[in-house]
Amino acid sequence: MILNRRNKLYIFLFLIPACLLVGIFVYTFLAWSINVSFKDWNTIGKMGNFCGWENYRTLFNEDPVFVRAIKQTLLLAVLFIVLTIPLGVITAILLDLGVKGKRFFRTIYLIPLSFSFVASSIMWSWMYMPNQGVINSVLRAVGLGFLAQPWLTSTKQALFSIVLVYVWQFSGFATLIYYSGIASVPETLLDAAEIDGVTRTQKYRFVILPLQKPATLTVLLLMLMYSLRVFDFVWLLTGGGPAYSSEVLANYMYRVTFNYNRFGLGAAISTFMFFLSVIIIILPVLISSIRKLRGKV
Amino acid sequence: MKKTLLLGLVFLFLFSVQVFSGGEKESEGATEMIVYHWWTAGGEKEAIDALFQAFLEDNPDLTIVENPVSGGGGGVMRGQIKTMVMAGNSPDTFQLTYGTGMLNSFAEILEPIDEYFADFPVPPMVKEMGRVNGHQVSVPLNIMRNNCLWYNKKLVDELGINPNFKDFNECLAAFEKVKQAGYIPFVIGAGAGQQFWLAQITEQMILGAPHGGPDYITKLYDGEADPAKDAAIREMFVFLKALIEKGYINTDYSALTWDQAGDVLMRDEGVFYSMGDWAKGHFTSAGWKPKVDFDYVTNPGTEGFFTLHFDGFSLCKGAPHPEIARKWLTFLTTAEAETAFCPIKGATPPRLDAPTDMYDAISLDILADFRDPQTEIVQSVFAQPPEEYLGVLGSMLSGFMENPDVEKGIADYASAYDSIYK
Repeated sequence: MILNRRNKLYIFLFLIPACLLVGIFVYTFLAWSINVSFKDWNTIGKMGNFCGWENYRTLFNEDPVFVRAIKQTLLLAVLFIVLTIPLGVITAILLDLGVKGKRFFRTIYLIPLSFSFVASSIMWSWMYMPNQGVINSVLRAVGLGFLAQPWLTSTKQALFSIVLVYVWQFSGFATLIYYSGIASVPETLLDAAEIDGVTRTQKYRFVILPLQKPATLTVLLLMLMYSLRVFDFVWLLTGGGPAYSSEVLANYMYRVTFNYNRFGLGAAISTFMFFLSVIIIILPVLISSIRKLRGKV
Repeated sequence: MKKTLLLGLVFLFLFSVQVFSGGEKESEGATEMIVYHWWTAGGEKEAIDALFQAFLEDNPDLTIVENPVSGGGGGVMRGQIKTMVMAGNSPDTFQLTYGTGMLNSFAEILEPIDEYFADFPVPPMVKEMGRVNGHQVSVPLNIMRNNCLWYNKKLVDELGINPNFKDFNECLAAFEKVKQAGYIPFVIGAGAGQQFWLAQITEQMILGAPHGGPDYITKLYDGEADPAKDAAIREMFVFLKALIEKGYINTDYSALTWDQAGDVLMRDEGVFYSMGDWAKGHFTSAGWKPKVDFDYVTNPGTEGFFTLHFDGFSLCKGAPHPEIARKWLTFLTTAEAETAFCPIKGATPPRLDAPTDMYDAISLDILADFRDPQTEIVQSVFAQPPEEYLGVLGSMLSGFMENPDVEKGIADYASAYDSIYK
């Protein structure tokens, strides 16, 4: 379709509202936040003075909690992805195999995704209760009492207990994406594979799974984006404790900003989070896109 | 097509102007007051409703736009207020813990309201607590005493314990007796991200320690103490370590909220519970009778001291309806307002001349102590230190609860303290 000047003008006009909104609510505030990160703003209602890199220097040199929060955020992201993606793949394959009650199971797996984080966190906090919680009660009932733990309230496993909740909530999402991916594999390829005499396992291993790269990229990117700014379950289940053992960057940023009134420092944490996400998520995507373009040329 | 496009653009422009025009401006003859508070639980919600009703009876031409924000002992609401004020969208008035540290954190956005304090009959210390940069900035509505050791009366009578512990040793001896009888001696609830209660509970231990006391607490919260060397901090840790290691504390302390910990007493499983006097409201709302089912004493070593903070309301800078907010604050200084609010919430009134015949026996005890000129009033951890104190010390103390090493505890306390006051 050849666009004449008038049509181009319409397209431009219709794009203005979206550009305005994104410009104001994303990029302006991003710039404002970066600007605040260079201010010693510690009082509500009174903007501080320019202090150069002082907030960043404080975070990296004098704030062990911040450094710990970086490590724990990355650990949470890795565990979350490493556990969720295989679980999603396995569940999707099981559903694809045509088990009895397939629709029922598909709904069951997707239900956690529809729960609000607040409802899920209340439910899990009850399940994790050391004395009356269902997890420890079941362990004791089946003679595995020695495995009963203070799940959320010990520095040793609070973070891992939170990771499990995220895996539970999001594995349905991974299943959904992979199930759609598997369903969209062309029948011709599967027929060709069958003519070649592949077994069922070989069909999944050599035909279906290699075609799931786009699904994996989608799940990986969305989960990375989510896990690097993870806040909800951490805030609701442990508040980052005990003794900062489950502290993550977004949680700490909120606390520093709104509980400690150190707005400059909080903005520095959020700016760091932004650039961390850019490096981890956007750069690989950009590089991959550039390679693809070069390949086409 | 052209006309449709033109109309669309005009609509978009008008919509943008409306959205970005900077919000509501004060209009003449405004009749509403925008108020934020964090009272949403049973008892306190009824209390604030009664207070609004009493205010509206005196001002029938006004309306109240109420915004209750629950969570985190007011922390969630305070976070919301900060973002609103920074966005230029101030409320008229909002609830704030009444004490020098908390009010100082909000100093830049609070209007002076000195005119209401000239004839306000409260102890001088109470007026001092609400003063920032030489000006009163908040009206206290209800007293909240912090150094209360609650107990299950039936179990204490059954075990033949005198709960008036003069010091930590007497307390430990009684707790051993309770443990031997198969009950939990000392119940704590500091779970669900509520580690800050540990800062509140240990405050009573520091106050009651041999080298503690009101002067030390004041010095500590002013940022002038040296926790690494101060004996009171060491004494607190030694006492807390004994409670942990001897098994006097409930094992699920870090999974329970403060009110769930109170429930342990009501189930006759636990005997003692250190919490502010708001616990009374929780007990009575569940049907427990003051002086019959439960009672309180001051924490060991804190007799004659009264650690407290208040709930207060302030006038926000940039309030859209400041004159109505001033009417509200004037109303809050009256005995009528305190009487409408305090008995329902289970709290006590700060005015020294407020009538007392509608309060229960425990509230009357608290009032008698408050009004006694010999009582030493001490600002609590919610009132005097900066807002971040609770969170930073709470996190640090939650580590000690899991690993009760006194030397490490003191070093961590000193480090956390320095991070706040340096």
